Amino acid sequence: MLSNSPPLSGLAGEAARKPTIWETLTSERYFRWTLLIPLLVLLAVFMLYPLIYSIYFSFHDWGMQGDPIFSGLHNYRQLVFDQNFLLAFWRTLEVTLICIVVELGLGLGLALLWNRDFKGQNVVRGLALLPLLVAPLILSLLWNFILDFNFGALNHILSALGLGRVNVWRPSIALYTICFMTIWQWLPFSTFVLLAGLKSLPRDVFEAARVDGASRWYTFRRLTLPLLSPLIMIIVVLRSMWLIRLFDPLFGTTRGGVNTELLDWITYRTSFVMFDIGYGSAMAILSWAVTMALCMVMFRQLMKQMAPKT
Amino acid sequence: MLHRSIKAWCGLLLLWGLTSSAYAQSNFTLDDVPALKNKKPIHLILETGDGHSKALPIIEAFTKKTGVPVNVERVASSGVYGKENVELMAGTGHYDVVYVETSWTTEWSDLLYKLKDLANKFDPGKSAALEKEMANMSPSILATGQAYGNQMVLPFYTFDMTMWVRQDVFDDPTEKANFKTKYGYELAAAKTWEQLHDQAAFFTRKKGEMLKGQPLDHDLFGLSMQAGAYQDNDETTARLWPTGNDWVTVVKDGTGKITKFVITKADKEALKTVLAEYKNDLQWDSPGALTANFDFVVAQIGNGNAIIAPTIWANCTVWADGILKEKVPGGKIGVYPTPGGQPYTGAWSYGVAKSTKNPEAAYWLVRYLTSYEAGLRMFKEAGLIPGRIDVMETVSKNEPVYPLGMLAKYHIDIWKATGKYIPNHYYYNTKAGGKVYDNQIYVLAPALTGEKTVEQVVEDLTKQTIDLQNKFDKTAPCVEEK
Repeated sequence: MLSNSPPLSGLAGEAARKPTIWETLTSERYFRWTLLIPLLVLLAVFMLYPLIYSIYFSFHDWGMQGDPIFSGLHNYRQLVFDQNFLLAFWRTLEVTLICIVVELGLGLGLALLWNRDFKGQNVVRGLALLPLLVAPLILSLLWNFILDFNFGALNHILSALGLGRVNVWRPSIALYTICFMTIWQWLPFSTFVLLAGLKSLPRDVFEAARVDGASRWYTFRRLTLPLLSPLIMIIVVLRSMWLIRLFDPLFGTTRGGVNTELLDWITYRTSFVMFDIGYGSAMAILSWAVTMALCMVMFRQLMKQMAPKT
Repeated sequence: MLHRSIKAWCGLLLLWGLTSSAYAQSNFTLDDVPALKNKKPIHLILETGDGHSKALPIIEAFTKKTGVPVNVERVASSGVYGKENVELMAGTGHYDVVYVETSWTTEWSDLLYKLKDLANKFDPGKSAALEKEMANMSPSILATGQAYGNQMVLPFYTFDMTMWVRQDVFDDPTEKANFKTKYGYELAAAKTWEQLHDQAAFFTRKKGEMLKGQPLDHDLFGLSMQAGAYQDNDETTARLWPTGNDWVTVVKDGTGKITKFVITKADKEALKTVLAEYKNDLQWDSPGALTANFDFVVAQIGNGNAIIAPTIWANCTVWADGILKEKVPGGKIGVYPTPGGQPYTGAWSYGVAKSTKNPEAAYWLVRYLTSYEAGLRMFKEAGLIPGRIDVMETVSKNEPVYPLGMLAKYHIDIWKATGKYIPNHYYYNTKAGGKVYDNQIYVLAPALTGEKTVEQVVEDLTKQTIDLQNKFDKTAPCVEEK
């Protein structure tokens, strides 16, 4: 026994030994920072630095030549009175609202439908995922071919059926066509998130409701929806962030014409077509602030939903 | 006698030698490029598209001759400004040879070498050799590549506008007779906008109606235009210039120095008139025109869906003709000046960036890409029209075949007609050209779609043009005439 015990002097020596870098990094105290720091560095370089730089430029006049000239709040004052920017802002909110409502409604419907077992379910679900796998820019070019008034597949089919051609790009409805293209691509996202949610719901609660004689509608309203609400909030938060910076569907189709200019498009053309970097930065900062404010409100709501109920 | 005969033969030989060497000099070839010491690679942009791919063998030949590698980056025309502007402004030297659209020439003039300076430095024939080469090019196109009187770029291919008519329809005896009966004058390519309106109304027909004595199996539109937010400003320019007005009037002093940019009352009124007219003309066009670019017009004419394209790039003619031949047997396109006779013009050109690490090779590559040899090849193989009179004359004389011969003749004539007024136009005198030009595209579109009134759009454009002009061009103030 004794012979196996380390000598006292040895124990003292081990206690005094400095831990290696690896031991420090993987210690309970620092491990979380070890994992976080690379991400924080990346975020600082690729997100924080450009953000601070954009804020700096938003208070300056700069066309990429010479030194930026300090202009104070001029760019922001100009924004407030810029009819094109305000229009783009309202259009973006409209698109965000329409897309989220439709995607959630249809997504929930499809998720409920696909929650049951049916023949060929794997094929249907696999095919339904396809729109998400295509680059949004490519899709916008494809839709442009499909929806073109003279040469598009849609009008060829309508003509063949003896129906009149439709102009989906007329200014009064072009924005809704953009919404349609976006919903078509992103519907599988909400569908599959909600389907996953439905699959993981506890069966005993529903059994109990059935035994108690609760109707289907009552069960859906009082059980299914509340249990899915954290997932619904996640969809709303993520889709809001993505929709506020909607860009690709415009690139291949209207390029911001026919009443479809959105926030990201006007920011893009101001910053990278006209290279009015100061004004473009002010636009970007304002839309970033709006996105942050919206998402913070929704995120707080999400946290509330996900908090354990007492 | 024998002595005199030998003298005569020697004289003839000398004369032949002199004339043939003069011809060789005027037709610059790769053999004229001296041995280059600097072998650092050259980087440049070549537009995407099958036609532009025909330039690749030209560039390869340059590399083979000089030993200088050339990296070619394929970029769609709409993306060129953004990519190059960033690199030029930052002075990265990424692009040695810079692809320049007409309206950016003055804007980038501080970042490009003056070609004359490069010629004096690298050309054995000095600037005289460059000037001799430029004497073969269209003066009006060359003027669009100048900044403050200095030649900054040489034209690779031009984009003079033209008016297309379906020549086979215009020549049809039944159509001619019906038109004359209805309007009281002969059917011929419109010289005025009023004539164009008559023709547009005359040819807009429904499915089942007759064309050239045959029933139509689809609706037919009198006109085809590109009113989308792509290049609606170029179509508007072709309507604005013939009024004697411009987007902005350039005021110069006696020495030719710009003292002021003014948006005059007359400029604004003229713009209102032409925009109203343009919007009105859309009644004879497909609803698809509201989101259309030039490819739509090519498709409309090529597929026999429209009869007249009043304002379209001449360099698209071969493309449209190719489709028309396939889709409409016997179909033929005629090219004419746009109504009013002052079509929008310019060129995609090449110049040398000051930040290049190999200015010598860049200079010679620009010379070769814009040479007679390269121009003739691009014209014959791709239908892209070089800014060279000698190429046009060669094709016009030796191969007066449709459509190249027709295009060559059109360009010779239109360059003569437009040479006088081009140097004074706003686009070719401003350092804010790239910005103002692109802004116009978006601001004008709502007037054509009806989202805003013409008056609102002209006010928006005036305000925004003044803002951009004063922000990006400090050479002279821009004001509105009150």
